[in-house]
Amino acid sequence: MIDFNLVPLLPELFLAMAAMGLLIVGVAHGNSVTPVICWACAAALVVASFLLFGMSWEKQIVLNGMFVFDNFAGFMKLLIILGLITTLALSVKYLEQERISRFEYPVLIVLAGIGMMMMVSASNLLALYMGLELQSLSLYVLAAFNRNSLRSAEAGIKYFVLGALSSGMLLFGISLIYGFTGSIDFGVIRGALEGLEAIPFGVTFGLVFILAGLAFKISAVPFHMWTPDVYQGAPTCVTALFAIVPKVAAIGLLMRLLYEPFLPVHDQWMQIIYFVSLGSMVLGAFAAIAQANIKRLLAYSSIGNMGYALIGIVVGTPEGAGAVVLYILIYMVMTAGVFAIVLGMRRDGIAAEDISDLSGLSKTNPIQAYAMAIFMFSMSGIPPLAGFFGKLFIFQAAVSAEFYVLATLGIMTSVVAAYYYLKIIKVMFFDESIEAFDKDIPFARRVVLFVAVAFLLVFVIRPEAIVESAQNAAAVLFT
Amino acid sequence: MELLAVFPPLFGFLIAALFGKQIGDKGAQFVTCAGMIVAALAACSLFFTVILAGHPYTAVLSEWITSGDFNVSWALRIDQLSVVMMCVVNIVSACVHVYSVGYMGHDDHKARFMAYLSLFTFAMLMLVSADNLLQLFFGWEGVGLCSYLLIGFWNHKHSANAAAVKAFVVNRIGDFGLALGTMAAFVVFGSVEFDVMFEQAGAVAENTIEFFGFELHALTLICLLLFMGAMGKSAQLGLHTWLPDAMEGPTPVSALIHAATMVTAGVFLVARMSPVFEYAPDALMVVAVVGASTAFVAATIGMTQFDIKRVIAYSTMSQLGYMFFALGVSAYSAAIFHLMTHAFFKALLFLGAGSVIHAMSNEQDMRKMGGLYKKIPVTYALMWVGSLALAGIPPFAGYFSKDIVLEAAWADHTWFGNFAYWAGIAAAFMTAFYSWRLILMTFHGPPRAHQKVMKHIHESPAVMLAPLFVLATGAVLAGFIFYGGFVGGSHHGAESGHEEVAQEHHEEEGPHQETFVVTKDGVHKKEEAEGHRIAWDKESFWGESLFVKDENDTVDAAHGAPFWVKKMPLLVGLLGIGLGYLAYMFFTGIPVTVVRIFKPIHTLLFNKWFFDELYDRLFVKPAFKIGNVFWVKGDQNTIDRLGPDGIARKTLRTAGMLSRFQSGYVYQYALVMMIAVIGIVSWFVFRGGYG
Amino acid sequence: MIVQAFAFYLFAGILTVSALMVITARNPVHSVLFLVLAFFNAAGLFVMLGAEFIALILVIVYVGAVAVLFLFVVMMLDINFSDMRKGAMQYVPIGMVIGAVLLTELVMLYGTWQFVPGREQNIADPVAAFAGQNNTEALGQLIYTNYIFAFQTAGLILFVAMIGAIVLTHRTRAGVRKQAVSDQQARNPADVLEIQKITPKTGV
Repeated sequence: MIDFNLVPLLPELFLAMAAMGLLIVGVAHGNSVTPVICWACAAALVVASFLLFGMSWEKQIVLNGMFVFDNFAGFMKLLIILGLITTLALSVKYLEQERISRFEYPVLIVLAGIGMMMMVSASNLLALYMGLELQSLSLYVLAAFNRNSLRSAEAGIKYFVLGALSSGMLLFGISLIYGFTGSIDFGVIRGALEGLEAIPFGVTFGLVFILAGLAFKISAVPFHMWTPDVYQGAPTCVTALFAIVPKVAAIGLLMRLLYEPFLPVHDQWMQIIYFVSLGSMVLGAFAAIAQANIKRLLAYSSIGNMGYALIGIVVGTPEGAGAVVLYILIYMVMTAGVFAIVLGMRRDGIAAEDISDLSGLSKTNPIQAYAMAIFMFSMSGIPPLAGFFGKLFIFQAAVSAEFYVLATLGIMTSVVAAYYYLKIIKVMFFDESIEAFDKDIPFARRVVLFVAVAFLLVFVIRPEAIVESAQNAAAVLFT
Repeated sequence: MELLAVFPPLFGFLIAALFGKQIGDKGAQFVTCAGMIVAALAACSLFFTVILAGHPYTAVLSEWITSGDFNVSWALRIDQLSVVMMCVVNIVSACVHVYSVGYMGHDDHKARFMAYLSLFTFAMLMLVSADNLLQLFFGWEGVGLCSYLLIGFWNHKHSANAAAVKAFVVNRIGDFGLALGTMAAFVVFGSVEFDVMFEQAGAVAENTIEFFGFELHALTLICLLLFMGAMGKSAQLGLHTWLPDAMEGPTPVSALIHAATMVTAGVFLVARMSPVFEYAPDALMVVAVVGASTAFVAATIGMTQFDIKRVIAYSTMSQLGYMFFALGVSAYSAAIFHLMTHAFFKALLFLGAGSVIHAMSNEQDMRKMGGLYKKIPVTYALMWVGSLALAGIPPFAGYFSKDIVLEAAWADHTWFGNFAYWAGIAAAFMTAFYSWRLILMTFHGPPRAHQKVMKHIHESPAVMLAPLFVLATGAVLAGFIFYGGFVGGSHHGAESGHEEVAQEHHEEEGPHQETFVVTKDGVHKKEEAEGHRIAWDKESFWGESLFVKDENDTVDAAHGAPFWVKKMPLLVGLLGIGLGYLAYMFFTGIPVTVVRIFKPIHTLLFNKWFFDELYDRLFVKPAFKIGNVFWVKGDQNTIDRLGPDGIARKTLRTAGMLSRFQSGYVYQYALVMMIAVIGIVSWFVFRGGYG
Repeated sequence: MIVQAFAFYLFAGILTVSALMVITARNPVHSVLFLVLAFFNAAGLFVMLGAEFIALILVIVYVGAVAVLFLFVVMMLDINFSDMRKGAMQYVPIGMVIGAVLLTELVMLYGTWQFVPGREQNIADPVAAFAGQNNTEALGQLIYTNYIFAFQTAGLILFVAMIGAIVLTHRTRAGVRKQAVSDQQARNPADVLEIQKITPKTGV
């Protein structure tokens, strides 16, 4: 009756065991082995990705309908794992520099990763909530990881309190849906909603609360308020994590939720996401202009980017869904690259976080300046860099589904957003140069930088392969 | 093999550009030269496999853009036409690369220069090996960009920068035409791939297209737009003004880009599109007329210039004119033949001129030269070879190609064919004249340069002379060897179709082999190597890469031209040389007298028919004026104040407001979230009519 | 029947009143005590529903552990709760408005509530499926079999919570002398003990 086949869970199971094992190693040897554990965690993630590849990507639902594994889940999990490895690679040196090199850090990242992977594999509202909480709790702790810093602690507590509120909303929404349909299983909910002639108020009400809870996780307007403060307060490597990975998971979760159980009520959620997407784009573009701190700026930038990704969700076509997956992938790469540079902004061992600290970088460190320029151009969507294609596919999907207003506003806000991306370039290339940053850039960070730049540049030559796999992954949701 | 022929320059560029500092100037020179030589050898090998064995093919590298009905892939079209172009480009480019090592010996930016040269070559190869118009456009823009970079290479010179900008802007006008042509082709054919377009060309020959409300013949429109692009790139009358100015670049650049390769891109484009042009007779007529006028006008200007490089530049323009009117009378193979031989002797002339300039410590004015032949005898001899080829004296390369071009024009038996023929004859006369004017002014007579300069004069180093010898060999032999293959006549009647012709050849090879001695070798070799026999005449040489309607086959008809038609070019060439000797060697007073008598005409010619001034009056100044009006009144006072500046101010204010919202208090944040949720629910309540 | 109704209203009434007192009482200790009372009454309601296992868990875990822990914390930390409320008071009006709107909407929700047709078939584990089993058995079946995935994930979440608590609060202070158990175990009596015979009245 209940399928106890654990094969689809192999990567998660393996990671959980690895996390626990490495925690024990850490406890035994103290904080001096943190780099080792970081790399061991990265290795475990690599193994997990191999496990993913070794599994059948056919759709299977196991464990009493709680856990689904299909092409989409596989693809998103790969992205998540990639993002986690990148963050780990970026973190090692930074943790040492900031003297917060504690062995719990990589373990918590892996645990958060397990949560994220469960999120994209959730096939049941309970499983969804559990994955979400596992992820969130790990992230709350990570946000406050530098407990000697007042800002970090404040970031952690803010994130925690508001996260709890959003979880509460989510649960309230879930309970309403459960109350109406009598089930928390995605398939059953869909079946129940499909037969409806008019959508009852309870369903709409529940949907609003569920989406509010999830919008918080992807920091979409108006549930974004935590983002700038947390991004700024958290240690920069944690900010990198926040910006790169949880968005992938949350967007994946949102897509599965909206396209599978709630597709019959498309008209309802479309209005909500429409509003949220619009708000995110506008706020992301405008509020970022006034920022002086680069981490805050990136916070707004990520808000804006989530707005664009949401456009693809709104349209509710396989084309749009594929565009979202692609967008997220490209966004991930760009963000990873940007953070590889931001993490290297230190003078005399002290982290510099202001945009003005980048002044004249082109003279003091031209390679970083050019790499950053490429990221910024890509972020503002200038062809032929990959960022342009991300936006292009999104807007194309929007136009072909006749969401002209959304597409137009998207283009307009990306023009506004281009202002602050280009401003960074201007600061780097045309402002008086100030003292150079510290030179010791670790190898891992160089690799991340190089891969990101190469990806953004080369993407234009063979976009097909990636675009197709993204679209195939998303298409599963519609079968 | 095709990858080896196309990509080494790219790698050379990447290595020289990215790691120029690390590997040093020597390293950069070595890498780029080696890359070019490899590419040149690979191109030659392609010549054997593709042309002699008759195996054209298309190598698909990867998909590029797939958007709706619009499919484009990265592919190399390796057919006879592109292989010929590749051979020319790669060989000349290799020579120029090696030459540059010596010529740029005193420059501070050797690595950058070599990198640009390689990038240019790569772009040119992309252009000629393109499988579709889009890829061609990519290469087209690439060579345009490189041309800009190289003309302005000495960016400390104001004139060089201005020339670079001019070249870029003028070319842009042509590019605009090319882009429009590509789009029009997509509208008409539904594809920009050559194969698809050529297949359908006959079928859509009668189609019309609506353009600004006019019903136009579709193919004519496409062809004219494409030709506009070709005019820009190949400096045809009207869009030619950039070419002489482009001589501001280093001389190897002039040789490579502005003589041998880039400027021929337009010729190549028209030849490549021959299956389409064949169905657009009106477009062909325009091509012929423009080409013939260019040939004539450029030659007249060439006679009056004093800058050694400019003289050669105008002769280039004039020769390009020849190629175009050959295209215009459907003698595509003749045009490409002339393109090939011209590439050799013009590169030779330019590099020779460069050698002179190098020897004269960067002096380019012929009035300050003279009496050099004893000091730099090798260069002198090589310049002779180049000039003889240019003037069309047998057995040099130019003789064969120029003659077939002129004969084809005559054989077209149309008014524009005749016009082209006579303009060409006149130009041939003037060409011979100014070539010898150049040689005599430069090398003979009393030295007019400063004593100090004269002392310094020395023969160029071997690294500069060696490429010259390679090119000279080409200039001597290319016409003779390849005449049969490129334009060799068949003897079929007008009634026989293409297919039959090909078969006929296989049966009756005898006469050809007798006519052209060298062909025996080619045929013989093929018999042994492939067991696949190929005749040494144009049909089998070109395969299906060029397409000529039977009734338009002027190259064939040209072989039957009357004696006087055939010998006229040679005659006027000799006359021109004689006159040159007369005027600049024996009676040096003649030029001055002539100039005095024909003052107005000379002024007209000396000032290049006032094209620059005319354009300046007509376009540049009004454009500046209009621009100024728009700028001050329209932009600054209206749009900026209401638009960008206003919006920017508003934006900043909005940004400030939004960030004030971000108070940092958790309970405010929570409140916002609650309000938002309630708000959304209320929205549904009001809208959905619940309750 | 009347007894049942009476008991229900008694429990429910006291539950509501004590819950109200939890948030209104000035003295935090009183608040916690009211919370304990509320838990007891909730347990009573569960017993009435036949869910005796949950009722007892509620008493044992929440009353026995959580509430008592609260009480300790409240008594040990000297926090002036009225101070903390001050800043939030200015938001009372707008909070009231939001609350009112939310309440209206909830009332509407209740008023228009409807179930999906055939909802009974949708329920994954209806009570009827566990007929004849007692509370503990049924819960065991659900937790350890049907919802094993959620249960294990909950375990992971608690694991993270534990790590988090340690990471954020545990500090190793210098100069603290700790018991080194392994050292103690490893000591050899022969090395550290010296047995001396002492003659009375002479001292060591």
